[in-house]
Amino acid sequence: MSNTPESENTMETAVRPSSLADVASSHNKVPGTRALGTGLETRGVHAWFGKHHALADINLDFAAGTVTALIGPSGCGKSTFIRTINRMHEFIPGAAMAGEVLLDGKDVYAPGTDVTKIRLQIGMVFQKPNPFPSMSIGENVLSGLKLAQLKVDNKDDLLEECLERAGLWNEVKDRLGAHGGSLSGGQQQRLCIARALAVRPQVLLMDEPCSALDPGSTLRIEETIRHLSDTMTIVIVTHNMQQAARVSDYTAFFLSDGGPGQMIECAPTSDIFSRPQDQRTENYVTGRFG
Amino acid sequence: MALIRSVFQDELDGVSQSLVDLSNMVAESIAKATKSILTSDLKLAEDVIASDDAIDDFQHDLDARIIDIIARQQPVASDLRALVTALRMSADLERMGDMSHHVAKITRLRHPNSAIPSELTHIFQDMGTAAEKIARKTGSVIGSRDTDVALEVERDDDEMDSLHRELIGSLIAPQWAHGVETAIDLTLLGRYYERYADHAVSVSRRVYFLVTGKFA
Repeated sequence: MSNTPESENTMETAVRPSSLADVASSHNKVPGTRALGTGLETRGVHAWFGKHHALADINLDFAAGTVTALIGPSGCGKSTFIRTINRMHEFIPGAAMAGEVLLDGKDVYAPGTDVTKIRLQIGMVFQKPNPFPSMSIGENVLSGLKLAQLKVDNKDDLLEECLERAGLWNEVKDRLGAHGGSLSGGQQQRLCIARALAVRPQVLLMDEPCSALDPGSTLRIEETIRHLSDTMTIVIVTHNMQQAARVSDYTAFFLSDGGPGQMIECAPTSDIFSRPQDQRTENYVTGRFG
Repeated sequence: MALIRSVFQDELDGVSQSLVDLSNMVAESIAKATKSILTSDLKLAEDVIASDDAIDDFQHDLDARIIDIIARQQPVASDLRALVTALRMSADLERMGDMSHHVAKITRLRHPNSAIPSELTHIFQDMGTAAEKIARKTGSVIGSRDTDVALEVERDDDEMDSLHRELIGSLIAPQWAHGVETAIDLTLLGRYYERYADHAVSVSRRVYFLVTGKFA
């Protein structure tokens, strides 16, 4: 992974608090009040695909125990951005990034960092549910432990805890041996969340986790997100504006004007959806473009 | 990037225009009510009383339309403020119509006599003029969303308050010679005009909030 020189930042960023802690003081979830670590920060993050500069100078703080929604039109770099957070971006041939991603103050890109450990700490749920189809429900949940060669004292307790927290336990407790592929789409997605929880991540990244689900399943996932935020930091990419409004504490608006995607405005979600400071944010959340 | 959602924008513009129309209706209503009370014109009073039903129906239709837009379009930010404030502005404007209606009912109650002693007609002439002016300006503010003019309406209300104080001063003066019934009529009339202007101020403040997201 090579660091590429920063390109010119051509778009003006209207309101970009250097720290969400600045805007959290009037909010329910004050960073630092939970024993969740100090949270996640990105500093000057840029991303490239070959020569294409996809993302420019993203500075965001994700306070521990909060949910942050990333919104913006297609192609603005939201998904690219969250993939830089757990180092999945580097899987793509020709991809490059610059900047820092700090988890509890330590750069996940620091030389010598064990990428596997980073992904244990920063879990991810994808747009399309992707359980291991031939594994049972129970095996799916515990698969991360097996892959990472982690040992737990009581797997049954962990299994129940993870499925409970993912909001799936009551629906599957009598058929834990059934294949993961036998579940509905919404259940499969909650199974994937349970699987991500089993390795006890500090951060959970969710890339449009409900876009392939029906409204009922979507609301169940949203309930799960709200409950999970008591114990971890969640970053969710969504195209569903109402979902961002319902589920997140903070919202960051990304936009590309033809150049690299940039973060235009980040604020408490209630401000973004009632009094956004930047006209481009206003135009986007009110559906005037996108 | 081209802006979209023109149908929604047309609906929002339609709501704004309806509020302007409603403010014109209540401006006309208070002008007629004032003329009826000053000239003891029963027919005009009956017109005002009948037109209040039209104002109420207009408000109900407008509110139903706003609720429908909120349900279907799920507005946020300035769009949500526009629609929520429109609901509240329509209620204020409807109450202004009620005030005109109350004035007209006093005309009808005292007909063929006048409710207002001749030496006090100038106060009600001025109150009527101030009320109509403030209602017209409020309509203009709704249409233009000019926050400076919106704040001006509050100052215009000072004129109404001053006339109201002058009226009350006459009613409680030792030399008052028109009896209790007339005093009650004039107290109520004064209150109707004063409240009419207060509702107009409230509408203007809501325009300020709509535009700025802050309370005036």
